[in-house]
Amino acid sequence: MLQIDDYRLDNGLRVVLNEDHSAPLVAVNLWYHVGSKNERAGRTGFAHLFEHMLFSGSEHVGNNEHFRYIQSVGGVLNGTTFFDRTNYYETLPSNYLALALWLESDRMGFFLPALTQEKLDIQREVVKEERRQRYDNVPYGTAFERLLNLAYDPDYSYHWPTIGSMEDLGAASLDDIRDFFATWYRPDNCVLTIVGDFNPSEAKDLVTQYFGELAPGGSFPHFTLERTHAGHERRETFPSPVQLPRLYRMYHLPKMGDADWVAADLMTTILTSDKASRLDRALVHEKQIAQDVAMYVLPTESTGILMLQATAREGVQIETIEAAVDEEVARLALGGVTDDELTRAKNRAEIEYAHQIETFETRADLIGMLATYFGDSTLVQNWLDPYRATTADDIAHVARKYLIPENRVTSLFIPEAHA
Amino acid sequence: MIDRTAPPQPAPPRPYHFPHITRTTLPNGLRVLITENHNAPLVSLRALVRSGADHDTARTAGLASLAAEILDEGAGTRDAIQLAEAIGLLGGALGTGADWDASYVSLDVLSRNAAPSVDIFADVTARATLPEDGLERARADRLNEILQQRDEPGAIAGKRFSNLLYGSGTYGNSVVGNAESVERITIDDVRRFYAQHFIPNNSAVVVSGDLDPSQALALVEAVFGNWARGDEPPRPTVTPLHVDRSNIYVIDRPQAVQSEIRIGHIGVPRTSEDYFPLTVMNAILGGVFNSRINLNLREKHGYTYGARSTFAMRRQAGPFVVAAPVRNEVTRESVVEVLAELQRIRTGHVEDHEIDETKSYLMGVFPATVQTASDLAGRLVDMELYGLPEDYFDHYRENIAAVTKDDIANVAQKYIDPERALIVVVGNAKQIREPLGTLGYPMHELDIEGNRLAIG
Repeated sequence: MLQIDDYRLDNGLRVVLNEDHSAPLVAVNLWYHVGSKNERAGRTGFAHLFEHMLFSGSEHVGNNEHFRYIQSVGGVLNGTTFFDRTNYYETLPSNYLALALWLESDRMGFFLPALTQEKLDIQREVVKEERRQRYDNVPYGTAFERLLNLAYDPDYSYHWPTIGSMEDLGAASLDDIRDFFATWYRPDNCVLTIVGDFNPSEAKDLVTQYFGELAPGGSFPHFTLERTHAGHERRETFPSPVQLPRLYRMYHLPKMGDADWVAADLMTTILTSDKASRLDRALVHEKQIAQDVAMYVLPTESTGILMLQATAREGVQIETIEAAVDEEVARLALGGVTDDELTRAKNRAEIEYAHQIETFETRADLIGMLATYFGDSTLVQNWLDPYRATTADDIAHVARKYLIPENRVTSLFIPEAHA
Repeated sequence: MIDRTAPPQPAPPRPYHFPHITRTTLPNGLRVLITENHNAPLVSLRALVRSGADHDTARTAGLASLAAEILDEGAGTRDAIQLAEAIGLLGGALGTGADWDASYVSLDVLSRNAAPSVDIFADVTARATLPEDGLERARADRLNEILQQRDEPGAIAGKRFSNLLYGSGTYGNSVVGNAESVERITIDDVRRFYAQHFIPNNSAVVVSGDLDPSQALALVEAVFGNWARGDEPPRPTVTPLHVDRSNIYVIDRPQAVQSEIRIGHIGVPRTSEDYFPLTVMNAILGGVFNSRINLNLREKHGYTYGARSTFAMRRQAGPFVVAAPVRNEVTRESVVEVLAELQRIRTGHVEDHEIDETKSYLMGVFPATVQTASDLAGRLVDMELYGLPEDYFDHYRENIAAVTKDDIANVAQKYIDPERALIVVVGNAKQIREPLGTLGYPMHELDIEGNRLAIG
């Protein structure tokens, strides 16, 4: 069992330690409880732009020096942004733990003095290129954005993707960035996870030295999210420069951690994973009408999301794909799943979990997520329990309850030439 | 109060040793490499067959990867669905594939089920049934994949770059083939390739993870011991095309909002004696985030989300290539900056801090890249495939440490050649044609299949 030590500093910083000497490495991982859901319409893309800015230096660390310090000692590092959170992490030789804590505490406590318009302008351009590269210049690149637009009303901040809009990125001012930092980047909105080869009392001393003197912020802005239920399916057909038609669907689910979310996770494995999974077998292997099919749940905090996509083979109509998907979904909802199918799905969950805890970096990230979303880092020790407890009836129940037209949105990407 | 004005000093470094490798050659010639790792209850099984797409001809481009793809369409007494079900019940994930140098089978599985999994793993590797309907499924899948790549600027750039660099011979086509060759390949082609190349004396098996080495060896011997030997296959060779100056090729994508740039030339084989200096030099030039090319294009100019340089080291000399997606308006400027960086590294002027930090990075990062059973298996596969010395990974970090400034200057001058570069740009020709024309290199325009177009 993984040993977890979970405590708070006086300023509210939550610290989670997991000691492991299997490699001379240490993973340092910070989850800030802020993401694109904390943005407002007209100011989208901020949380992510801000993630870029946080690599551009702080009072005692020059522009780009953060990357340089870590890399030059043999560390790897990155940051990511999603609806509910922003994470920053590095894995480095364990004798450099203090270096990582120095860098992370400097940008948590001393970021604003080093902020300049020039840095903002450069990173804004980089993020715009990221948007072009990942969304606008690739086939189906805007599918997720389109589904979010359909699935959520404009006042629900999952309505837009973390990358934001080009227009809003262009409008981001230095004052916006300052406000964002002051509101959200503070010890009492962060979980610091350290996994690996350290001496616990030395690590605690270092954490206190570097983070203990940082001030907690004031009160958090009032923030609630209430999702309204459309009560009917929202659909669109989108002619686009793609070669093959593709069906995209998003189903609403309870948020991550709910028993139904876990059952839905197992259900997606039973429907799409290997050649024996139902949709793969029916659409790709037997009927050979689809190029690929995939279903998965997303790790979201405010509400649950189940994604489905299926690409038609050349010459196959999108209607044929949609009918075949619905046929398999109905068969599962009405007929349930076999014990073997459930065992295979649980095995896969076990393998995925084993991979996640295998490296310090991914283990630290899982711990950070559990502490941030559920306030309980020890969930990492029994993460598989709710999966093991799920029954075949639970899976059929989830299929009947959530995989229905009123609970989904659909976007059909079709080749422009066929429009 | 702690001093924040300077980075803290490190603690004394902790020792690191690459795990012990057990090596055996079975009587049928199969090489077996085994290593332990108990970080997770997982075992990684890998089979390596030392023949890949390098054996494809212009007529059969895509053959090796199609053969690999249908290994799981039936093996031993099981058909495709039965295989997937059996592996799922053991808690395994199966993968098959081919690259330029080799064909691969991989099975990651829960260690409590290692024994029965090795059986299925051997079936897929040595007793694949290669059914005809399996090839038809794979063919349809491949043709649709090739069709989809027509809209992927990165895939278009990669294909055209390889083809212009190597012509229609080895490394000049795509591993996945093209629509014509994939249509043409027959089940007899696939079975012939499998019979000739999937033989124990052309192969190796790697076991890594949460399993006792002697038990692992016994399992491998039991299931692979009677695999029949064959004649060792020949090794195709690459014939480089002659290049006397740099050329620009523009591939028009009228809807593009970015230009995909590829700049480079033929590089070196994996067995190059200059491997370590080249690795350090390339990391300084464009191999890591904080390299010159990325800092220049991304952090100084904001032209790109990321730019990289790579030596694709294969059994024979693969390409050296700088890849950068940039916005349309700065296409010319980006090409100029990349060529200037290539010129600058050739002068051999490298700052002390650049070389120290890069070496320190490559040495320090090594343990983090071999933390999982699967990572370790990958290193052992490389070792076998390229015939690296048995103690290669034990001395990896020392060999990086030994690289000098002179070594860097030497390999930069020997292997980087901006005067004879192939420059491929996939983008909006109307917008980028004129600015690129001012660079003074011969310009050619191609369609995405590589057919030449009149400039106009």
